[in-house]
Amino acid sequence: MTLASILVITFVLCLGLFVLGATLVWHRKELRRLRAELLIASEAQRTQDSLLSQRSELDNIKDEFISTVSHELRTPLTSIRGALGLLSAGLMGTVDSKAQNLLRIALTNTDRLIRLINDILDLERMESGRAPLHVRRCSLRDLTKQAMETMKPMADTAGVHLEFSLGVAPEGVFFDGDPDRILQIITNLLSNSIKFSPPESTVTLRLEADSNSVQLRVSDQGRGIPIEKLDAIFDRFQQVEASDARQKGGTGLGLAICRTIVQQHNGSIWAESNPAEHRGPGASLIVSLPRMSRLLDQLDDKGIVQPRGGDGTLILCDDDPGIRTIIGEHLRHHGYTILEASDGMSAIALAETHEVSAILLDLYMPGLTGWETLQRLKHSAATAKIPVVILSVLSPSSTPREERQAASAAQGWVQKPFNENLLLAELSRVLHAGEGPAHVLLVEDDIDLASVVIAGFKDAQITIDHASTREIAMERCLLSAPDLVILDLTLPDGDGFSLVDWLRQQPTLRALPLVVYSGREVSEFEMKQLQLGPTQFLTKAKVQPEEVEELVLNIVQRLRRPVPKGIHLAQSERVAV
Amino acid sequence: MKRVLIVDDEDDIREVASLSLEATSDWVILTASSGREGLVTAAAERPDAILMDVMMPGMDGPTTFKQLQLNPLTARIPVVLLTAKVQGVDQRRFAGLGVAAVLFKPFDPLTLAAQISEALGWELS
Repeated sequence: MTLASILVITFVLCLGLFVLGATLVWHRKELRRLRAELLIASEAQRTQDSLLSQRSELDNIKDEFISTVSHELRTPLTSIRGALGLLSAGLMGTVDSKAQNLLRIALTNTDRLIRLINDILDLERMESGRAPLHVRRCSLRDLTKQAMETMKPMADTAGVHLEFSLGVAPEGVFFDGDPDRILQIITNLLSNSIKFSPPESTVTLRLEADSNSVQLRVSDQGRGIPIEKLDAIFDRFQQVEASDARQKGGTGLGLAICRTIVQQHNGSIWAESNPAEHRGPGASLIVSLPRMSRLLDQLDDKGIVQPRGGDGTLILCDDDPGIRTIIGEHLRHHGYTILEASDGMSAIALAETHEVSAILLDLYMPGLTGWETLQRLKHSAATAKIPVVILSVLSPSSTPREERQAASAAQGWVQKPFNENLLLAELSRVLHAGEGPAHVLLVEDDIDLASVVIAGFKDAQITIDHASTREIAMERCLLSAPDLVILDLTLPDGDGFSLVDWLRQQPTLRALPLVVYSGREVSEFEMKQLQLGPTQFLTKAKVQPEEVEELVLNIVQRLRRPVPKGIHLAQSERVAV
Repeated sequence: MKRVLIVDDEDDIREVASLSLEATSDWVILTASSGREGLVTAAAERPDAILMDVMMPGMDGPTTFKQLQLNPLTARIPVVLLTAKVQGVDQRRFAGLGVAAVLFKPFDPLTLAAQISEALGWELS
């Protein structure tokens, strides 16, 4: 070996060592950098966790405060309400008619005050997201008429005339909203206008609408609102004159409540001074509400995706308008949007032009029968995939053989006359009949109990997801709609009731089968409040986790089971606990 | 004839509740103005039911209820809580105690007796 080659080898070795060394140094640096990044990230996580826990602590303090204040207000009201109630009912002896009238006034207003306290608490709960809206189709005209009736005595006392005018056809004032809340808005606006109206003046309520929204305009002939106050009057405790609250008997919260409700409906509310040619100075308060509820938009801020697929719109096809009204009302009440069809041809036309989740179909109709309609629906590519539920006085087994064959194209069957639960259960079964392993969401804050329940399902053909808070449960539901929810009623960030309320507002979730697995007995009234799709109630002390498993598997199996040739009767079940 | 004990620290509410029950039922009404007095009266008089406020200074309703449960003389007397706290979270806490019912303030004086009777399964004459 020559010296030269030794030198070359040494050089190469040195170079190799140098490269290795450099690489090591670089790796070490990189490692340090990553470690530092990790540290920063975990620090950020800790800060966020602590912010979250601070926020939840603040929420708790706020809840406690509201609870205490409401208690302190209700205590004296209890004595007043009780005393007035006894006197007014004549149980403590009779009084003359003038005194009787005064007692009535005192009693009415005590009740109003109690309602107001409840409303203020509601406002707090609305703003914190703990009191979701109960949205259904309503008529702005009916709600306005109702509010006018309620406020008529107040208007009469003030010598103010109420006038109603409709700037649109009566069928044009339907919209999706929470009727109680909208009524609260109209009543508040009316009360406000009457208070600021001179005697013998008129308060006008006018309804208008376009294709996207409905509008209510309440105009008075009072002293008007200065331009710089037009916006401020919707803030809490802001009035045109500081002394107004005392003199006019208001609370300074009425318009703030209106604004919160309107915002929850994704609408807008504003005030305008009346144009000069108007009969007096005066002002108008205008509420504009979208026709279609877009409540899910509120969740977008939190980065939660919207559910995919059908939006809970159903076609209801029956030639009997009475039946359409009754069933339609039931289903709207449960949050479905209903398109009515009085014959088969119009049902097909609706199905071709609208995105619908399912079709409810009567069998015996003049013109195209239900059978023929079903066949046409199933033979057209545009409508073949829409599930059909047959509504009939016949049971599948009493149906003539040849027609039974035709009926096998339907996904569900409900025999008339039926009760509401049967219909809802069957709809839920049809709408949630998916493929693959069923997906169950367990909402339970007790981690140990959750583990036990989850362990029970380990051999079953289902996937189970666990949410320990209301918030997580909502998120999970929106990311991927479960086939069934098991719900504990006590959650760290709200209760099961509010979660059910929320689920009911989500078009794709409102018919979910639900198993309420709670630590205490649930009263009849609460059972009604907790009704989602087919809903069953189990009490922890009485029902062991393995029994929950059995029940859940039972329901899931039913969801997954194909309908045998259209012969399936909706069944209502209630587990005795 | 049923005997009902009202326990509430507010004089006015005691008065109104007594008058309400007397006017709408044939019950004999006893009263106590604190949890402690309620315990003594309950043990001495053994009423058929107790209508008790939740928030009382000193011994509150839930604590008084637990004490009643510990005394064999009073353990079987059904207790109806009367509360001005109507938040969901409060309701659940009270319902978990094992009382016969939870009623809310402000109550309707004309139906209070009926509400208690219903909760206890009594026939209201």
